[in-house]
Amino acid sequence: MSTLIELEDIGKFYGNIIALQGVTTSVNAGEVTCVLGDNGAGKSTFIKILAGVHQHDAGDFRFEGESVKFNSPREALNKGIAAVYQDLAMVPLMSVWRNFFLGAEPSKGVWPFRWVDKKVASETAKAEMAKMGIDIRDTEQPVGTLSGGERQSVAIARAVYFGAKVLILDEPTSALGVRQSGVVLKYILAAAERGLGVIFITHNPAHAYPVGDRFLILNRGKSMGNFAKDEITQAELTQKMSGGAELEQLQHELSQGR
Amino acid sequence: MTDSVPGTGDMVVIDEATAAEIAAEAEETAVTGADERLAYRGVFQRLLIRPEVGAIIGAAAVWAFFWSVADTFGVATGFASVLDVSATLGIMAVAVSLLMIGGEFDLSSGAATGALGIVTILLVKDIGELGGAGLSLHIAIPLSLIVALGLGFFNGVMVEKTGLPSFIVTLATFFILRGFKLGFSKLIIDNISVGRIDEAAANAELDKGSRGYEFWKPVFDGVWARNDHILDSRDTIWLVGFLVGGSLLAAAIYEMNFRSNDKRNPMGLIVMAAGIAGAIATILYMHNSDGRSANVLAAALLAVAALASFGGLALWRYKRQAPGSTLFSNETLVWAIAGVVALNIGIFLAGWLGVESQESVLDLVGGLRWPLVLLGAAAGAYQVWRTQGSNFANDPFRIGATVAAIAASVAFAVYAFMFMTTEQGLRAILFGLFVLAGLLLLAMAAYKAGRVSPVARGLVLSVTALMGLRLAWFVQGQSRSTKFRTEAFSVILLTALMLLVWALVSTFFETRREDDARAASLSGLLARGGLLAIGIGLIARLLFTTTDEQAAGQTNPANFRMSVLWFIGITIFATWLLGSTKFGSWIFAVGGNKQAARQIGVPAARTKTQLFMIVSVAAWLVGLLLAFRLNTLQSGTGNGLEFEYIIAAVVGGTLLTGGYGSAFGAAIGALIIAMSKQGIPGARWNSDWRFAFLGIILLSAVIANNFIKTKAEAAGR
Repeated sequence: MSTLIELEDIGKFYGNIIALQGVTTSVNAGEVTCVLGDNGAGKSTFIKILAGVHQHDAGDFRFEGESVKFNSPREALNKGIAAVYQDLAMVPLMSVWRNFFLGAEPSKGVWPFRWVDKKVASETAKAEMAKMGIDIRDTEQPVGTLSGGERQSVAIARAVYFGAKVLILDEPTSALGVRQSGVVLKYILAAAERGLGVIFITHNPAHAYPVGDRFLILNRGKSMGNFAKDEITQAELTQKMSGGAELEQLQHELSQGR
Repeated sequence: MTDSVPGTGDMVVIDEATAAEIAAEAEETAVTGADERLAYRGVFQRLLIRPEVGAIIGAAAVWAFFWSVADTFGVATGFASVLDVSATLGIMAVAVSLLMIGGEFDLSSGAATGALGIVTILLVKDIGELGGAGLSLHIAIPLSLIVALGLGFFNGVMVEKTGLPSFIVTLATFFILRGFKLGFSKLIIDNISVGRIDEAAANAELDKGSRGYEFWKPVFDGVWARNDHILDSRDTIWLVGFLVGGSLLAAAIYEMNFRSNDKRNPMGLIVMAAGIAGAIATILYMHNSDGRSANVLAAALLAVAALASFGGLALWRYKRQAPGSTLFSNETLVWAIAGVVALNIGIFLAGWLGVESQESVLDLVGGLRWPLVLLGAAAGAYQVWRTQGSNFANDPFRIGATVAAIAASVAFAVYAFMFMTTEQGLRAILFGLFVLAGLLLLAMAAYKAGRVSPVARGLVLSVTALMGLRLAWFVQGQSRSTKFRTEAFSVILLTALMLLVWALVSTFFETRREDDARAASLSGLLARGGLLAIGIGLIARLLFTTTDEQAAGQTNPANFRMSVLWFIGITIFATWLLGSTKFGSWIFAVGGNKQAARQIGVPAARTKTQLFMIVSVAAWLVGLLLAFRLNTLQSGTGNGLEFEYIIAAVVGGTLLTGGYGSAFGAAIGALIIAMSKQGIPGARWNSDWRFAFLGIILLSAVIANNFIKTKAEAAGR
């Protein structure tokens, strides 16, 4: 497996505030790297550095072996790093295929009479979604009518189709029910199987553990460790994520309260 | 699967088995493909989700209403004047709807039409020392186009650069234009009416060929004098088109209930052959006959023949829905057939017993109009309410229908007794009783059918609606009293229309399963065929005059002008632009979610600026149309019309918040406004009521659009 992204002691400072410090991890093609952390752990800062929204102030960020520092999301996207944010960058009242190809519509005809090749667009969108294991019967239906999981899969399929090598998913399961979360986890695995490096950001270890190959745990802007799957169990993961001792304390207090 | 609620940060540790279960379940969902809750969206439902459908239904209702109250409506004379009024309004409404879908407003669009027309006139005018450029129209028209592009660009850049709401920015532009129009007109020609555009032809310094008036006049104000186009079989074509189209639509509804069958049923071929033979025989009969009633009969027969043909086709190639849910019980069929027969006996008796003096019969029916209206309204409202839930078990429909029917019958009986003593009275009662019995039987059939399947109910209701139309035409054809004819006709027509809408709504909002999709293709074909037939009939009806009408003096000038062609052309272009091009997708995107569009690489600012420029180019075109039509423009021309454009767009289904809408809908919206403008004076009402009417239309359109959108989306979920 080739290594796509390597991070070494990455840090980010806003004035005298340390947003992120000493983060080290790697993302391999065909693998899922999970970034876990509670609210305020520095997950957003971490994604924004990878996606080119912010630049890191310390450490080394290597993409395919060379040191990089992205100045804009467009630059990161051109290299093949695509971020799927929680708001998904979708237009809810527009059809699935229009959303899929928005900004990069396949056209035919001679200027000035160029039109979108709806058939190709619609079929491609359907086929790409099918590769993710989701059957969109009617690509004309508005994205707003899809379920949260399906919408997520449209965003993922779109990023994959437009040549992403690394896919960053920001809390894709946080707003979903159990069943829908399961569906999204399946898409994450499907994307990894197609040779992408996936960065899966979540605060739910139960979602991260079944799909992850590597786990980066953040707490208050600091790395709490970077583990391969065989180095850690789910219970340990949960414990480390919430600061270990604090959780035990809390569990104790809760059981007392009953 | 109750142990984990994601998103709440729960502390419960899920064991690996549960996690595997989640994955397995996900797998299963993906493999079986569809979630069983995903409802199938049928042909009509896909139609209903389109933004312009509400407007089309509304236009049909408004049109039917005015047709019945204003004699000039529904024939070429009235249609031409409606089109004439709607053209300039519609061109702007289409452009404005594009801008509104893109999420912006242009309040200067109304004033801009006048301003750009005035600019053109001033460019061609030669006033010696005072000013005016005295240019040839060949130069002046492109020059004013450049001014228009500049105006749109200014609006767009101001909105984008300042980040202010377009509402405020274009309000400022509106006042600037208004001031300029007045100021420049007074400064240059010392008059607030600016004319005349044909003076380009009188400019001594230009030779005749280069003045351009002769060249441009037909482009912007050519006329197709429709009074030259006489077609005596017009009403026949219209009736045949309507009935055949209606039958095909009914067949389309019927077809929805069928699945493709591998085993062919030879009975179907026989029925189909009989239907086709019947159709041919009917056409031959029609060819050899003349007179209105013979044609009506022929049209009805043709409709039956068409239904039989397609029924046969269905029988041959398709089989019924899932076992256990047959379309009709025998009971339903008996009720329905009895209803149709009773209704026709009533009509026959009324015609047979008193061809000479049926005035009282018809007055009697006229007396029924309010009970009928109330009945129809109650039924419609009830059905709308009913689609909210899906519990059909405790169906209060029977109670409601019975109470309404009893009330109507009592009212009818009391009224009828007053006529008991005369011969006409007897006839009236016979007619009324049979018609009422027929309607009740059909209602019963609809109820029985509804218990079996919603599709069957839809079919029965469609048949009832067709019967209603038959009644309407009978009454219209028999009566001599204009006042009565228009009232009864309108009531019956509206009731029938309401019934049809009810049938469609109730049938197609029912949840459907995936395998229904296969039935949709043929059904869609039939529906399209039906609409085409109705369209052909309607066009014949609306474009041509009969010799009778000419003799009756309906020859006041009603001409189709070039502006209508521009209107149609621009509507088609805008629909294409919106639906089939990259730019169209971008319009929806910047209006629907500008942030997302930008993130994904859509040039949002450029798209919006281009939209403002499209509006100002449309204003330029309308300015020229007005200038060539009127020759002289007032400095106030166009001021205040921007709200009519916005109303037209909204009535046509465009969302005020952007991101959703249709150019075609805006064109229909313009037609509705034009109809109310022409229909109210046509009905000899005080035209002061026009604005109230406009307001009511706007409100009901917005509510209806909202309702349809929510319904269709919810059902598509």
